Amino acid sequence: MPDDKAPSAPVRSFWSGTITFGLVSIPVDLLAAARARQKSMKLVDDEGHALGRRYYCPKDDKVLDNDDLVRGYETESGKMVVITDEEFESVAPEKSRDIDLKSFVPVAAIPPSFYERPYFLAPDERAGKAYTLLAQTMAKSGKAGIGSFVMRDHEYLVAILSENGMLRAEVLRYANELRTPETIGLPRPGKADAGQVRALGKAIDALSEDDLDMAEMEDIEAQALREFAQRKAKSGKGVIAMETLEDVDDDSAGGAEVIDLMQVLRKSLGARTEPAEAKEAARAHAAKKATPVRNANAAKTAAAKPSAQRSAPNRAPKKDAAARKGPATAKPAARRSASTSTPTKGTASKKTARKAA
Amino acid sequence: MSARAIWKGALVLGQHQVPVKLYSAVQDQVVHFHLLHDKDLTPVEQRIVRKDNGREVPKEAQRKAFPLDAERAVILEPDELDKLEPAADRTIELLRFVPRGALGDQWFDRPYVLGPDDDDGAYFALAQAVDAKDRIGIARWVMRDKRYLGALSVADGYLRMTTLRRAEQVLDLPAIRPDKARTPSDAEVKLAEQLIDSITGAFEPEQWQNEHRERLAKLIDAKAKGSKLRLVKPERKEPTGDLAESLRASLAASKGKKVA
Repeated sequence: MPDDKAPSAPVRSFWSGTITFGLVSIPVDLLAAARARQKSMKLVDDEGHALGRRYYCPKDDKVLDNDDLVRGYETESGKMVVITDEEFESVAPEKSRDIDLKSFVPVAAIPPSFYERPYFLAPDERAGKAYTLLAQTMAKSGKAGIGSFVMRDHEYLVAILSENGMLRAEVLRYANELRTPETIGLPRPGKADAGQVRALGKAIDALSEDDLDMAEMEDIEAQALREFAQRKAKSGKGVIAMETLEDVDDDSAGGAEVIDLMQVLRKSLGARTEPAEAKEAARAHAAKKATPVRNANAAKTAAAKPSAQRSAPNRAPKKDAAARKGPATAKPAARRSASTSTPTKGTASKKTARKAA
Repeated sequence: MSARAIWKGALVLGQHQVPVKLYSAVQDQVVHFHLLHDKDLTPVEQRIVRKDNGREVPKEAQRKAFPLDAERAVILEPDELDKLEPAADRTIELLRFVPRGALGDQWFDRPYVLGPDDDDGAYFALAQAVDAKDRIGIARWVMRDKRYLGALSVADGYLRMTTLRRAEQVLDLPAIRPDKARTPSDAEVKLAEQLIDSITGAFEPEQWQNEHRERLAKLIDAKAKGSKLRLVKPERKEPTGDLAESLRASLAASKGKKVA
């Protein structure tokens, strides 16, 4: 098998741990299965100088280091409670580096609204055939394993899924993070007019297709942005050197090591990729569209990812991520607001997070 | 407690229009902290400064630069960026309806609940029609100067819209076939199936709580009055030695007790 030709996504390992079910344990690495939109921009001034963010104390107008910062929680009565690093760590999740699959459910029983962020679970070299066994068995039974795990001081609910011989993880939202039509206060479903239901059913039929059209799924905004930027660059106006520029949304690509997933799979599973014809088809498709193939049926193959993308792979889709979980339990200095305003519910800055950690 | 709609629009399927309100289905449970200066406990400010000389740069002089490649970026002026914004619109266009299986979990991003906007009849008629066809609608709309891609579905008799990641965001992998030494035996597969069956149940998300968040909330509560706790180190388990043996033992254990 000409494995070495297999295109693979450059991915970052976020976490290493062990899947356990019953007494079976499978060491795995967690890798992102989705990346940020390709439209992130750098922060500069009107002359192109690189800009950065600094914390200031408004009282003495001085730049602050991470060491000068503490975490404060404002109670409902407006009282500011200081939580020290030691106190914060004392309530850090006590769990080990395990994803303990406590139960299995039919994959179809998980509503899509629970899916928050997808990861690949690559087998550790020591995983042996237990990994394959779990992947095969789950695929055969159409089931997902449910468990929780701890990553970077956060606790996550997770569904383990199996696809194409590979295990994946979907971080799930907790039930109390989701609103329902009842809690929103929507009216109870009423009787619908049968004629209207039929007419709408016909309209659905008219729009029904067997599969997605990848052209419809593309990032129109990001493409327009890129095209405009390239046109402008041709005129020579506004072109600057990248070097030290910082992302506008402070979404620099985490600190994780970039690894070649195919390499990992080959090492730990002696894995071979799908038959050549499928790969060829995927590649032809990918070449034609110049975007990764993502087709639920035929093209589940190698899908050439634009692996040259610099920092993009595997950043968590950022804005949402920050709003949803970044601030939760981030270290004091690991937080930053996207604007110059007082960083109350700021996003986590990975740079400072690393420093503080 | 009822929630407020964040946007109003109309689902458009061919000739039909169904007015809807869009509600976020996500409610933030995160414990938010302020960053304070340790000396005087003043909430800190973040300022944008030039990296070379540390001088503060006012908002008007801040720009965004789009990276062309590893070496070069191009500065985009505010008016240029404005022109790139999609035109405001109130329609949610249904592009196609596909079988449920056509969309894998990797696509799903952020969930919303759709509610009726005055015309309850049309809303529930569409919910019934989509439910009966058992398909997912691929939709596109512009909301607050941004383009969205979404999946229209029905749950519990109500229309749902979940935003989708773009094709460029969803990473793909080759299918794997392990070599012989790593291929489990039929007996092992059988045991694993039994083990999984023995702990298979309904999806009951209410049973899972974020204990860390709860402890954090308790700590804050306690601290507002005054007290402490301590910390534990995680350890990594050793990989399984004899697979079949572990499976058998697990199965025996799971038969002994009822698993949630």
